[in-house]
Amino acid sequence: MRDNSPVVLDRLFARRLVFLSGKGGVGKSVVGAALALCAQKRGMRVVLVEVEAPLPVARLLGGRPGASPIHPEEVLPGILTVNLEPAAVMEEYIKRTLHIQMFVRRIVQSPIYQRFYSAAPGLPELMLLGKIMDLTDDRHDHDLVIVDSPATGHGLSFLKVPFAASAAIPIGPVGNAARRVISHLQDHEHTALAVVAIPEEMAVVEGLEFLEQAQREVGIAAEAVILNQCHEAVFDESEEARVLELLAGEAGGRLARGVSLRGALVAARRQMRRRKLTRFYETRLKRATPLPLLRLPRIFAEELGLDDLRGLAARLEAHP
Amino acid sequence: MSPRREPAAALREALQERHVIVVCGAGGVGKTTTAAALGVQAAMLGRRVLVCTIDPSRRLATSLGLTRLSDKPRALTLARVAPDAAGEMSAMMLDTKSTFDALVHRYAKDEAARDRILQNRFYKHVSAALHGSHEYMAMEKLLELTLDERFDLVVLDTPPTLHALDFLEAPDRLMSFLDASVLRFFLRPYFAAGRVTLRIATRTGALALKLADRLLGLQFLQDLSEFFLAFESMYDGFKERAAKVHALLRDPSSGFVLVTAPNAATLDEARYFHERLTEKQMPFVALIVNRLHPDPAQEPDPGGPLPTLPAGLDAKLIAVHRDMQALARAEAKTLIRLEVDTGEPPLLVPELETDIHDLRGLREAGDLILGARTLPRRRVRRAAGARA
Repeated sequence: MRDNSPVVLDRLFARRLVFLSGKGGVGKSVVGAALALCAQKRGMRVVLVEVEAPLPVARLLGGRPGASPIHPEEVLPGILTVNLEPAAVMEEYIKRTLHIQMFVRRIVQSPIYQRFYSAAPGLPELMLLGKIMDLTDDRHDHDLVIVDSPATGHGLSFLKVPFAASAAIPIGPVGNAARRVISHLQDHEHTALAVVAIPEEMAVVEGLEFLEQAQREVGIAAEAVILNQCHEAVFDESEEARVLELLAGEAGGRLARGVSLRGALVAARRQMRRRKLTRFYETRLKRATPLPLLRLPRIFAEELGLDDLRGLAARLEAHP
Repeated sequence: MSPRREPAAALREALQERHVIVVCGAGGVGKTTTAAALGVQAAMLGRRVLVCTIDPSRRLATSLGLTRLSDKPRALTLARVAPDAAGEMSAMMLDTKSTFDALVHRYAKDEAARDRILQNRFYKHVSAALHGSHEYMAMEKLLELTLDERFDLVVLDTPPTLHALDFLEAPDRLMSFLDASVLRFFLRPYFAAGRVTLRIATRTGALALKLADRLLGLQFLQDLSEFFLAFESMYDGFKERAAKVHALLRDPSSGFVLVTAPNAATLDEARYFHERLTEKQMPFVALIVNRLHPDPAQEPDPGGPLPTLPAGLDAKLIAVHRDMQALARAEAKTLIRLEVDTGEPPLLVPELETDIHDLRGLREAGDLILGARTLPRRRVRRAAGARA
């Protein structure tokens, strides 16, 4: 197991496209924002892509509500963000394919189109991937695209859509678009995948499943596992022993600022157990995959701010 | 607010009496674990319960400490974790593709029609990935399972959609997609024995077809129209099943349990979902908030003089107390807003100090859910008053 994150970041940033994948709720978008800040620090221009995010992390970077659903906007020097809306992406695609602008609106507003579009299997995903590939091809505007993959929960189904589409649609632009997406996904110099997990059973199990599927079924280059929300060591061994002893002895009283000792001890025990779990899952990931493991700390804040994101970026840069 | 039953009691009663419990929520909120934990509790209450999960990532299997779960119900041994359980518990995993195949078998008018569908390229590659097919098949399976006499309660875990609501809407979307009358119009030339002509009633129709041809290619449109032609005879059968599911989900013997985590995004989902349930007249049972951080300041102080602490430990203790309290307070604030908006007191389930991946853990999680507290009434009333 290599454990040198500047090298890992170099490897990720040498690509045009980095997909972040992981179970819902593991903080992929926060990790994406931290990675974007790392890229920015290296003087790169980077696009952070979210998909239909109800609370896009872009807004922590300065993104405004009501931004374009298809065109990235620069929110910090060198950082562009976009929260893609599949319907808007589809419309843009039709406009480009159809050439005749005046018909586009009629098509898009026709009930047939509405019905077909809302139920057509995989079409929105395919269009999104096509759009993402277009973004990576725009070398004049930026160096890197980071994608917070939508948490569909169906494993890597987002990345598997072009394979089904390619098999089902043997000819025509949509089939060809699917094949173009596949060739980009499988080009290890173009695209890399990083799996994000948190130290919990389900997230780790699914993260490992993603890795396996990514390699076996998609053929994408997996580069790293990022373990987010790690509880760090606060207490040393003797302090831990003392905490447990005081808890068992029903110790009471008040610490400074009126903090109840009992409450603090209970909080400490929770922290210690979570810390232990963090270590457990770190070990498990290290055993299960030869990929480098990057750790990010759990942040205790009601809402993250830009400073928190910068802190996380610094952690990615200066990994022990 | 009018006096109401304790939400935990309402949930217990539902586990005792209803025949279907659908567990919904956005992805990543502990929905599968909750479904399995409620299953164990129902078995303890004497029910013969089946927990059915749809998740292809085998989460329930993990929760149950199993490495594999077949798509046939499999009985679990509860003796070690709930020795006095009067009921029984089984678990299974839904296989979307084989459920879809089974439906085709059931409704195809003859072998030829059946094979035309099963061999169709569009069907083979796309049926399992069909938008909403997971959700539709989940409900289809639910219908089948409710008729299975081995079980008197089915707890259905729902697919991990980005939005909890997709689960309710996907079946309608799928049915409307399969409604050949629309596509018949759209694909008319292809329906006519695959002959490509552009005899189409309206200009928009002709345009749409031209667009489809340009985008998707002739071969795909032919596959698609073959699929719909073959499917047409089955559509009524599907529709009839869909109507039964529709009725089942609104039956008073069914109930929805909404699961959420204490963060702004999933709570917004929960709020919206609750609204839609009410609007669709689906029976709501309980709102469960998982992974809540208890406020350490609420721990009862045993009193007494402060014991001597090693140098530096007090500062660390104050720091962890502060972190945990900040989190707990932020969560409580959002939850109070949720209760004011929905009028449903959420069941507050504290974050466990360890992970759940076996039956014992599920048993304990279920105990926690049924013993869960709600928010302090006083604070909710105050917030509601401030809102008004």
